[in-house]
Amino acid sequence: MQTCVELRRKGLAMNCAQASRLMHEYFDGDLAHEDASELKAHLGGCPECRERFNDYERTEGFLHMALAAPVGRTEADRAALTDRILKSVPGRRSRRLARWLRQYPGVTVAAMLGLVLLASFIASWEQDQELVVRGSDLSQIVIEGNKVVVPEGARVDGDLIIENGEAVVVGEIRGNLTVIDGSVNMASTAKVIGEAREINQALDWIWYKLRSTVIDLAS
Amino acid sequence: MIPIEARLARKALKGDQQAFAEIVGLYQDKLYHMAFRMLGSRQEAEDVVQEAFLRVYRNLDRYDEGMKFSTWIYRIATNLCIDRLRKRKATYSLDAESTEHEGLDGYAVIPSDDRTPESEMLLSETQRIVRQAINTLPAKYKSVMVLRYLHDLSLQEIGEVLDMPVTTVKTRVHRGREYLRKKLERKL
Repeated sequence: MQTCVELRRKGLAMNCAQASRLMHEYFDGDLAHEDASELKAHLGGCPECRERFNDYERTEGFLHMALAAPVGRTEADRAALTDRILKSVPGRRSRRLARWLRQYPGVTVAAMLGLVLLASFIASWEQDQELVVRGSDLSQIVIEGNKVVVPEGARVDGDLIIENGEAVVVGEIRGNLTVIDGSVNMASTAKVIGEAREINQALDWIWYKLRSTVIDLAS
Repeated sequence: MIPIEARLARKALKGDQQAFAEIVGLYQDKLYHMAFRMLGSRQEAEDVVQEAFLRVYRNLDRYDEGMKFSTWIYRIATNLCIDRLRKRKATYSLDAESTEHEGLDGYAVIPSDDRTPESEMLLSETQRIVRQAINTLPAKYKSVMVLRYLHDLSLQEIGEVLDMPVTTVKTRVHRGREYLRKKLERKL
């Protein structure tokens, strides 16, 4: 049996240290073609290196087997971990909302506009805690406290609108009577040629305001 | 044609929860497998996987599309594993023969996961010995071996994951192989 030392003394092309390096290249998958045939030749004449090569081959096999073996992961495990991960990820909601708002800038504008309109409605509604009497013909109207009286024999030509007060109608109104947040007290002699309306709810009021705004704009 | 992960990463960055869930789906198993081989415990492996994805999420804005997504996520996960291994070594004695999963009489202690499948419970002696040997490697060597033999990453890719030159990776693989050859020669 010739040992590596003896082979070297015989001046063979490759020594065992070189062969060892090439073996590693081979197992890395990086061995060049020419080197492969040289290595093969060396292995043919050197039993120690041959044994070493076989050892490396076995080691490679063991490594693959030990590390690539299945780890017993079930579908349930996977789902549970996915769930855990997704729950632990920060800022879900804020991110989504922020992104959505960025995508639709018109939403922000519309919201702002809506707020401004609402604010002005509320402001004017609050102002309307005062008694307001509106009409084209108020010459015969008598106001007593928060009572707006159309006296006996009196005549109002046109619509009469009363807010935050009590309408006491004894005479005649030649138009519509609208009372908002108040009450109507009609005498038996009262006459309203048109609609007599009481508006008490906030919604009705808003609708009424909208209508009157539109009518005003149209006229 | 952008790779799918880059596309998903862009979406996830904009807050697309579904896209991020898809990323988790793509990499969960591979990362778990690697972490389990590195750390040996199901609980720790899951913790590392969760932490890795969290870091990915938080750093999406810093993901450089010039780097492969897999390289980036493996890097995060591997570094977490190495950190844990190093912390462990600090508290355990450096007795090269024992790992936390071996009983004193040499029989495998069933790992913390009591739902280990039959195949693991009836571990061949060989596998046990090989794993024990791998566990005695220092953290950086171990990570090289795991990335190579579990995920078949090229030496180049391993270098990128561990932020090491290829020559260093090569040396580690060769030394690791040599070390294990000697160790297993005696035991097998």
